[in-house]
Amino acid sequence: MRGSLAAQGNRIDDTGLIREAQQGNRAAFEVLVRHYDQSVLRLALHLTGSESDAQDVYQEAFLKAYKNLGSFRFECSFYTWIYRIVTNLCLDHLRKRNVRKEDTPVAVDSSGEEYSRIEQFADARSGANPERDLMRRELGRKIGSALTQLTPRERMVFELKHYHGLKLRTVGEMLNTTEETAKNTLFRATQKLRAALSEMR
Amino acid sequence: MKCDWVRQNILFYVYNELEDDARYEVEQHLGRCPECALELKATRKFHATLSENVQEPSPNLLASSRMRLQEALETTRQGGLWHRMILEPAAWLRQIRMAPALAAVIFIIGFGGGIGATYNYLAAGRESSGGTITSSMTGSKSPANQPLESSTITGIRSVTQEPGSNQVDIKYDTVSTQEAQGSLNDQRIQQLLLFAAHTNYNSGVRMDSVDVLTQAPDDSRVREALLYALQNDTNAGVRLKALDGLSGFVRQDPTVRDGVLRALISDENSGVRMQALHLVEPMKADSNVRSVLTRLSQTDQNPSIRSQAKAMLAQMPEMD
Repeated sequence: MRGSLAAQGNRIDDTGLIREAQQGNRAAFEVLVRHYDQSVLRLALHLTGSESDAQDVYQEAFLKAYKNLGSFRFECSFYTWIYRIVTNLCLDHLRKRNVRKEDTPVAVDSSGEEYSRIEQFADARSGANPERDLMRRELGRKIGSALTQLTPRERMVFELKHYHGLKLRTVGEMLNTTEETAKNTLFRATQKLRAALSEMR
Repeated sequence: MKCDWVRQNILFYVYNELEDDARYEVEQHLGRCPECALELKATRKFHATLSENVQEPSPNLLASSRMRLQEALETTRQGGLWHRMILEPAAWLRQIRMAPALAAVIFIIGFGGGIGATYNYLAAGRESSGGTITSSMTGSKSPANQPLESSTITGIRSVTQEPGSNQVDIKYDTVSTQEAQGSLNDQRIQQLLLFAAHTNYNSGVRMDSVDVLTQAPDDSRVREALLYALQNDTNAGVRLKALDGLSGFVRQDPTVRDGVLRALISDENSGVRMQALHLVEPMKADSNVRSVLTRLSQTDQNPSIRSQAKAMLAQMPEMD
């Protein structure tokens, strides 16, 4: 067993579907997509912070998977394979955004997007208690801004471990590195996050 | 010393990443050391804090992402040229049950006109008139429902229906041109029509055959061909015709419904989209239909479609 599929509930045996899709059966590929796309979209949404970017990553990732399906050789689980594609796209995206941030001389609040999405989310869940909502919103804002202080790789490892519940060994596999490195990265990421969150309190 | 080691590993303890031995040691130590127990508490709190406010993609976002992907997949091919050449004809062959064909087609094309023509001729016609390359069969006379040697059809020249009857006249090419006449119920005629709806070189022919096919949409193969035409035909008139033929099945056949929804979103012709919109109106309580309507009401290029979609949504009872 390579990785736990915590996000999926359990491991799904896709071998038959993959083989059919490799022979050009588009319907089989679409079924396959549906096994994974919710967590893919979730990952992309968390990491890009915007629905439209998430949708772009989603689209690009599955099209890439479709075109390259022939090269999938069952050496790792399909889940790992598809996540490797998604994580690469997301890392590109995060790096581009970081560059953009540095390039902007005027102090545009580049994480404003992030804030607003968390606010929106808090709104959607808001009950009859405005004070609690305010606090929740405040907290969401803090977390969002703490997360932006991580490097793209730290962010990715933290996301996969914390929000997707993957084993560090699987995370390492997805990011083409060792379990040990993933472990260290997670440690660093949480240190930073804790520091950032306690500062703000 | 021990405390240092435990502090280093509490995080992995919380994240369930410790081997059994290490886990046991950490637990033992935590039982004895109140400071480290505090650290555990802080780590757990941190974990819980970050687990709050987790944003999940909305069902709408998921649905629209899926639809966008489906659209893109339709125009995307897997792998390289090899796939394109082998899989494309294989797909339509399968669809119209021409299974024995691929090898035979290659074989026949390879051997060229003369041999091929003779072979077709014997297979399809049974009446031979020396060098002529056109055989004519009327519905009553033709060997009833005898399927054509499907591998021999290379294209359909024309489809005409005699007004007021269900007699259809089809000119089709094998390696040579042949002609077949028969009733709509004739298996041979159906097969030719299905083939014609799929072939691409003459939109007039596709229009005629789709038109005739819409008279027999109860047959699932016919429906399949109509769906295919709706999705893939380059001619908007043909797509509209196909949509017409499918109209009775939107409610009972989910495949048809999906096809219509796809057309509603992706068809470039606003007339086709408008027609599709009318077809799904009775189904607007369906959640897929609703999400498509929502999307249309916001993003369709055509203002009258947007407003119509909006109106349809507005009439709907709120539900979740």
